[in-house]
Amino acid sequence: MKSRRVAIVGVGYSRVGRHTGLSERHHAAQAAIAALDDAGLTAADIDGSTTWGGDAIDFAYMLGMNPLRWHLNVGVSPAFVTPAIHAAMAVATGQSDTCIAFRIMMQQPSSATLASGEAMLGATSSEDTQFLYPFGNFSPTQWAGLMMNRYLYDSDATEEHFAEFASIQREHATRNENALQRTPLSAAEYLAAPYISKPLRLLDCDYPCDSGSAVIFTTEERARDLRQPAVLVDAMALSAVHDMNFEVMADMSHTAPVHCAEQLWSRTDLRPSDVDTAQLYDGFSVITFQWLEALGLCEPGAAGPFIAEGHTRLGGSLPVNTDGGACNVGRRHGANFCIEATRQLRGQCGDRQVPGAEVAVWANAVGPFAGAMLLTST
Amino acid sequence: MTDHPSPPAVVPSPLTAFFWEGAAAGELRIQRCQACGTFIHLPRPVCRRCHSFDLRGEVVSGRATLYAHTVTMKAFHPFFVSRLPYVVATVELAEQAGLMLMTNVVDVAEADLHTGMDLVVTFEALSPELTIPVFTAASSIGASR
Ligand SMILES: [Zn+2]
Repeated sequence: MKSRRVAIVGVGYSRVGRHTGLSERHHAAQAAIAALDDAGLTAADIDGSTTWGGDAIDFAYMLGMNPLRWHLNVGVSPAFVTPAIHAAMAVATGQSDTCIAFRIMMQQPSSATLASGEAMLGATSSEDTQFLYPFGNFSPTQWAGLMMNRYLYDSDATEEHFAEFASIQREHATRNENALQRTPLSAAEYLAAPYISKPLRLLDCDYPCDSGSAVIFTTEERARDLRQPAVLVDAMALSAVHDMNFEVMADMSHTAPVHCAEQLWSRTDLRPSDVDTAQLYDGFSVITFQWLEALGLCEPGAAGPFIAEGHTRLGGSLPVNTDGGACNVGRRHGANFCIEATRQLRGQCGDRQVPGAEVAVWANAVGPFAGAMLLTST
Repeated sequence: MTDHPSPPAVVPSPLTAFFWEGAAAGELRIQRCQACGTFIHLPRPVCRRCHSFDLRGEVVSGRATLYAHTVTMKAFHPFFVSRLPYVVATVELAEQAGLMLMTNVVDVAEADLHTGMDLVVTFEALSPELTIPVFTAASSIGASR
């Protein structure tokens, strides 16, 4: 079976916001229609559908995309990159000619709701969670607190570097009219914000919201006839190095992104120094730090100083998370990094455009699992 | 009777019962492969090293070092509201490199917590039905351990 080159030809979001009152289907429909319009495609052109959140077949049928030749609902996995890679794989192998990938995410209950007992996270006692819940460990903010604590010990980073990171991301968001948080944020304001699970602060966390994102993959050949400049998938990689219990990982500073990056760079002639802009998951800010190091975009352990020196700013040597990141555009679970990378390579980012961007990497998740995709404009 | 919230209920399975029975008896027990000696946590039906299914809970020394910790400032369950702030920690047990357990560190001031410090197990009854193994500074126990 001959592998075909794959391109991204359409990207779109639903009307993202806090407690929108809309269903998963509603967000999926809005995002898909936006992505089809972006590409200049119709529902009848789509013959593959993948999603995390909701049901790929249900969304496709609702939108008149049928019959499907490829469909997949992914389970717990490295965020949007999983449905994205499986959509790209379907096109590469000829199972599908034009495949849409979704990430639909509904806002989760707040800690106040959980503390009051009004809502519960997960089952009372599964075979694994009985080793976590009785110790008061329920929330991803807690493994992220453990990870950040260990990362501060293992690396050159300081809490001030995390403050710089938050401030720079917000500066990027001020240039993105679709960001949910656009008020400039100083490093001092970050440091004054409350801890959630110390050393993790509120402003290290992505911003909860309802969101729908969709990205359409097709062949390079087809892409050349469509509305947008083609963005090509140069390489992609998935990784898993542990089961889902982040809390008992023996090395929390060198996790799946390290293995994932090795796979990614082994599948391309491009090198880390070729990357013009990086869009790196920030569900918790320590994740972006790990990706910068894992991908070889800075020296091991040096992401903190690298950020503080201004490299990741717009105008710096490697602009990172140019849409403002999920801390500011809201929790789109990695899809925003794919969409922002695509728009940067098309040259459509306006005030936040990285001049002449030709190579972009986007990456999702951390700890047990990870995924990444390298995109080019030619 | 009080209306104080209950801790999260633990429903042991045949695979995990040894851990909770041990805690109730004041012992830290960790699953160990009887064929190759590998300790495994969290409990699994098979040894990831040799694929033996002959696995049993064994009492371990209770000595560990602090790998990572986080001070929980927000509660995500009613029982823990009155316990804030509390320390969630990942510790490396002395028996085997990379043998990690998630637990709490108790009776150590936050300023005295440092990565790599020596810890020992102790036990805390959250309710008449539930006792959990937690850790404290080895130095606070003194020469008796
Ligand atoms: Zn074995």
